[in-house]
Amino acid sequence: MIYLDNAATTPMFLDALEIYKKYAVNNFYNPSAVYSEGFAIKKELDEIKNDILKKLNAKNGNIIFTSGATESNNLAILGSKKSGSWEYVFTQGEHPSVYNVAKELEKQGNVVHFVKLQENGQVDYDKLKGVLNDRTRLISTIHVNNETGAVNDVIKIEKLRKTFAQNALLHVDGVQAFCKIPVNLNNVDIDLYTISAHKFHGPKGVGALYIKNMNLLRNITFGGGQEFGIRSGTENVPAIMSMGYVLKKIDVENNYKKVKILKKSFLDIISKDNNIKFYDNESPYILSLSFKGVNGETLMRELQSNGVLVGIGSACSSKKAGNRILESMGESIEKIKTHIRVSFNAYQEEKDIEDAAKIILKTYRNLFERVK
Amino acid sequence: MKSILLRFGELYLKGNNRYIFENKLIENIKFSLKSFTYKFEKTFGRYIISNYSQSEEFEIIKKLKNVFGLHSLSIAEEVDSIEEDIVKEVLKINVANKSFKVFVKRADKNFNKSSMVFASELGEKLLKKNSSSKVDLYNPQVEIHIDIRMNGKSYIFTNNIKCQGGLPLGTSGKGLLLLSGGIDSPVAGYLIGKRGMKIEAIHFHSYPYTSEQAKDKVIQLAKRLTSYLGEIKLHIVSFTKVQEEIHKNCLSEYMITIMRRIMMRIAEQIAEQNSLQAVITGESLGQVASQTIESMMVTGNVLKHIPILRPCIAMDKEDIIKVSNEIDTYDISILPYEDCCTVFLPKNPIIKPSLERCEKEEKKLNLEELVLDCLKNEEIIILN
Repeated sequence: MIYLDNAATTPMFLDALEIYKKYAVNNFYNPSAVYSEGFAIKKELDEIKNDILKKLNAKNGNIIFTSGATESNNLAILGSKKSGSWEYVFTQGEHPSVYNVAKELEKQGNVVHFVKLQENGQVDYDKLKGVLNDRTRLISTIHVNNETGAVNDVIKIEKLRKTFAQNALLHVDGVQAFCKIPVNLNNVDIDLYTISAHKFHGPKGVGALYIKNMNLLRNITFGGGQEFGIRSGTENVPAIMSMGYVLKKIDVENNYKKVKILKKSFLDIISKDNNIKFYDNESPYILSLSFKGVNGETLMRELQSNGVLVGIGSACSSKKAGNRILESMGESIEKIKTHIRVSFNAYQEEKDIEDAAKIILKTYRNLFERVK
Repeated sequence: MKSILLRFGELYLKGNNRYIFENKLIENIKFSLKSFTYKFEKTFGRYIISNYSQSEEFEIIKKLKNVFGLHSLSIAEEVDSIEEDIVKEVLKINVANKSFKVFVKRADKNFNKSSMVFASELGEKLLKKNSSSKVDLYNPQVEIHIDIRMNGKSYIFTNNIKCQGGLPLGTSGKGLLLLSGGIDSPVAGYLIGKRGMKIEAIHFHSYPYTSEQAKDKVIQLAKRLTSYLGEIKLHIVSFTKVQEEIHKNCLSEYMITIMRRIMMRIAEQIAEQNSLQAVITGESLGQVASQTIESMMVTGNVLKHIPILRPCIAMDKEDIIKVSNEIDTYDISILPYEDCCTVFLPKNPIIKPSLERCEKEEKKLNLEELVLDCLKNEEIIILN
């Protein structure tokens, strides 16, 4: 089986499991305990926070551990909420863990803007500029889109914020970016940044939120006051330590180069067929492809039978009309149905990727003949 | 001692065959209670369940409520048919601030008081004990029943729990239910089971055009039906090749009609192989293009030896949904997975297909081979 759905999740590093075991069974102490065993764990967690800050190239700010991206995004958005007549700005390309929180804000009676995407999958910066003002409390944008691999220009967005919405916080959902493409918070003034461990070979159920200034965020859950009171609950120490181990091992630049090569090999084969269209976006990790005349979901299942696992995006269930993100890019519903998503990881063999591309090509052509 | 009185409905209509129905009903009751210990007693016109663990009473009642052929049941207090004992038990019933009526049924004529006399005496005693209550013969808030049976026992109860009614499962033969994954077909299975027919089920799936989840949904539906219908043998038939061939060769507006005719052919063969006497569908007249009377005629035409039964034929969709909710299949039926009827859906399916045209279109296919192929690759799952 060749796995090409790495945007959904990635295999965990085997040696990260040893770390997990160590902190689940031997060094299992509660980091809030006052005896030295517990305190030692607390120190180790702090080191992981520093490692994450380093990986983000952030000179200052804090890291809060969470249960993953959904919690980080909820905390970032709902924690920024302020009473009074404030406005909240999102792109239409957000993951459901942001988009549905935005919908909830709207339901609660807040002014919420959803900014359209351009054809290339990035947010429409002019339209974004158009909705910013002094009452904007939060701008929340995805960094790398999980369906198309389009990379939003966060530097540009930050400049717009600085000029047109000085009171706004800027949240970036970096789930498909962190440990995949170079991220440099030293260049850009971002207030909140979401990461999730299982997207970069760490365990599931753990993630983090970068917070530049703790005073600007308020807690949305209540409890024992861990993580500066922003996120109560005993820290998931084994998962955090295991995530920390993985992120230290990952060489972002090298991986980026390697995945670029994988993508190129893949596209060299796929592009032989003119009936297959693809968005060749900036992140080499994610590719959105459309196959003329076949249903993406059907193709996905036929590929599974032939030994290749691909994704169909997170909003593509049969009863839904289409895919919000592709729709916002101006794609027709008919064409959206022909999409699949292919996503790589840096530890895959080029030969496997080429084999997968060949299988996709063959499976598509066979299916096309059967349904035409 | 607590006991459960069971009453059956229509069986009294069955004259000399009655014992067949009763034996089946008893067998089904015992099967549904196979995981409990209890005592089963048959008296005229009633069954009595006793000596069961109180903590299992709720579960036992739940099971009995799903047994077709049972009309109603009551949880009763069982005492020896001695007047003082009955009076003592009746006086325990709380009628404070309520109106009540006492019903006495005396099957045991050795009991020394007539029903009428005993009922009014009990009423008086209750009134004396509860000055705040009153007798209401027409619309009482509490109905107190005293059933004096031939076995020397009397049963006192104030409740009457409605059961399924219908005929005992297995007294009306066995049929093959076409189970699509939608709302209607599980309801059809339930309704036909209520008339005593046991079922096997057949599902057509079209991987990769339909998903594994769609198939799993049908398995879950069949599993839910087992709580009424007992063990179900589910035949899963891959229909992919058939659909591709029709799509490739036949007129697109006839796609669904021809598809359904081939389904019926396969169903008939499976029915014959498994000694099943009917094909059951969830069709409701006029609900969709394939369920017009013309479509049904053309579809049904392929069955040569057994009838098609359509228990939902005259039901409105909302009534079907109501039953679906009652039998707990609705929440599964509405899961959003395609069933094979929605694959290769033509833009304009024909509403009034002609048999002649259908047969002409089918000549373009190698029907025999397609049907055989489906039968060869059938997957069977036993659910209970």
